[in-house]
Amino acid sequence: MGRAARFWRSREGALVLPALAFYVLVYLYPLSRIVGWSFFDPDFTLKFYRELLAEPAYFKALRNTLEISVLVTLISLMLGYPLAYLMTTTSARARRVLTVLILVPFWTSILVRTFAWLVILGNNGLVNRALLDLGLVEFPQKLLFNMVGVQVGMVHVLLPFMVFPLYGVMSRIDLNVVRVARSLGAVPRKAFLYVFLPLSLPGVGAGCILVFLLAIGFYVTPALLGGPGQITLATMIDMMINTFLNFGFAATLGVLLLAVVGGIFGLFSGLMGLNRILGAGEGR
Amino acid sequence: MKRREILKRAGIVAAAAVAGPFFHVRPARADKGDLVVVSWGGDYDQALRDFVFPAFEKATGYTVKLDAPPETAKVKAMVQSGNVSWDVIMTDTPAVQALVKDSLLEPLDYAVIDKAKLGRIPRELQQQYALGQRIYSFNIVYNTNSMPKAKHPRNWAEVWDAKNFPGGRTFNFQGGIAPQLEAALLADGVPVDKLYPLDVERAWRMMDKLKPIVAKWYTSHAQAIQLLSAGEASVGNTIGPRGITAKKAGAPVDVEYNQGKLASDNWCLVKGVRNKKVAMEFINTALDPKMQASIAQKVPYGPSNTGAFEFLSAQDAADLTTSPENIKQQFWWNTDWWSAPGPDGKSPREAQGERFAKWMINS
Repeated sequence: MGRAARFWRSREGALVLPALAFYVLVYLYPLSRIVGWSFFDPDFTLKFYRELLAEPAYFKALRNTLEISVLVTLISLMLGYPLAYLMTTTSARARRVLTVLILVPFWTSILVRTFAWLVILGNNGLVNRALLDLGLVEFPQKLLFNMVGVQVGMVHVLLPFMVFPLYGVMSRIDLNVVRVARSLGAVPRKAFLYVFLPLSLPGVGAGCILVFLLAIGFYVTPALLGGPGQITLATMIDMMINTFLNFGFAATLGVLLLAVVGGIFGLFSGLMGLNRILGAGEGR
Repeated sequence: MKRREILKRAGIVAAAAVAGPFFHVRPARADKGDLVVVSWGGDYDQALRDFVFPAFEKATGYTVKLDAPPETAKVKAMVQSGNVSWDVIMTDTPAVQALVKDSLLEPLDYAVIDKAKLGRIPRELQQQYALGQRIYSFNIVYNTNSMPKAKHPRNWAEVWDAKNFPGGRTFNFQGGIAPQLEAALLADGVPVDKLYPLDVERAWRMMDKLKPIVAKWYTSHAQAIQLLSAGEASVGNTIGPRGITAKKAGAPVDVEYNQGKLASDNWCLVKGVRNKKVAMEFINTALDPKMQASIAQKVPYGPSNTGAFEFLSAQDAADLTTSPENIKQQFWWNTDWWSAPGPDGKSPREAQGERFAKWMINS
């Protein structure tokens, strides 16, 4: 019996089969059709890719998308790491309260939350009113329809996706190890830097990848809160489909995005190892 | 009965019991079938439900099912996959043109429509694949706090003039709306009767001048109204009737009709419509002047049948974009110019739409 045949008859094979069948049917098959659209019209053609390469605007949109996503990931990490650390080290009761507070935004639709930011960050909004009344600024600050607005709106939505993977990994770190480091003479800063931080890195990897991948596909928030500098590839894809009914070119833009994301993911897993990024194999 | 047979039947009953709640079971009545009508949702759909559906259902015995919104991409996916579940859709002219280009619509059968009604509907709205139901317009809509009435911009040249009329502007980008090249040319002094064919290069030079004073390129008309109501933008180019709706709801917003661009939402038949005659009968019902007057009282869009004004008070008519007073200050959007294919096979709608995206993104 070949290796493959043996695998499918084993327990692992049986356990993985339902999920695999589901993915092939509702994900891989439609995805292959989309890739097909980018190469056929109706006969085989490379015209969509030629059009893509000839026009710098689409690469500008790709750059905008990556810029937004990298920044969102970094800000989420800076805000999420201390939060996850607090959840790990605090009492069970405080942890429950924190968990609920982090989950609350999930209860509201993303569209409603985005519109709420329009009210808060606007020229006559809460933030600018407060700044003006306190005499901190003379004119309303531009907090909307630029990178600031997009970052605020997106980090707000994506922060939980950073906090929970981080907390998942941190909660499995044996804090006695840190105490041992302290008792052996490490100052708190060093104990954290050389013991806790390295052990928490799988969580950092998982959180960053999750947030980055979700950010890349964001559509509503950059469209509503951003300006011309935040036009994303998702916006261009929407325009190709809904305005121009150009499914072939939309598919080509989708393939571009997929290839870039796949490339980035491949690069990271090559550098760090997929197991480390996703925290697999930890705690065994 | 064999045991297996019994089990099979029990299974069918159980499956029906489980699945039952997921299907809408209609009471038995003189039900010949249903007609699926797709519109944009909201107040207008409610008005259709209140005034048009009952009359049609009573006359034909068919039941109307309403769906929303009539996304063109969805029509394309339906027709291509051979799985058409819509019959009649109401959509704007650019969408109609996109659908016609891909042969996704069925030609209308004008023989079913009453001649008397057709006589009162503007010729512009009677097309092979589309018949106008309601008229809207792209107008100068402004915030009355930052630009008090009588001191607001009264033409596009004044909208472009940020020195004498300070405040942020809002114009459309995305959402399937063509760039407002007509407004740009009017702002540059081109007379209304010399607009078409559009001098595209001249228009884009004016768009370059507009760009620095735009506070936000809105992605939907709902967002435009929100920006203008909140004072995030002082004046913009958006749908007049939506501005009137906001005004009636108490928002500090008003509409200047001068140099407005008139356009229509139209009834169309999706290719593969199940019963063309019944679908046409529905359209015929919706064009009734009295019904259109009742709808216009609820939702301030212009009725396509001008006969509706005989059923409207002067006060109701004043806030409609097609009132005799308002319509004469405006011009019809020449959608034929926008849809005629150029030498490379692309219509201005496509070519200028793509140019719009590139112009925006490369800023």
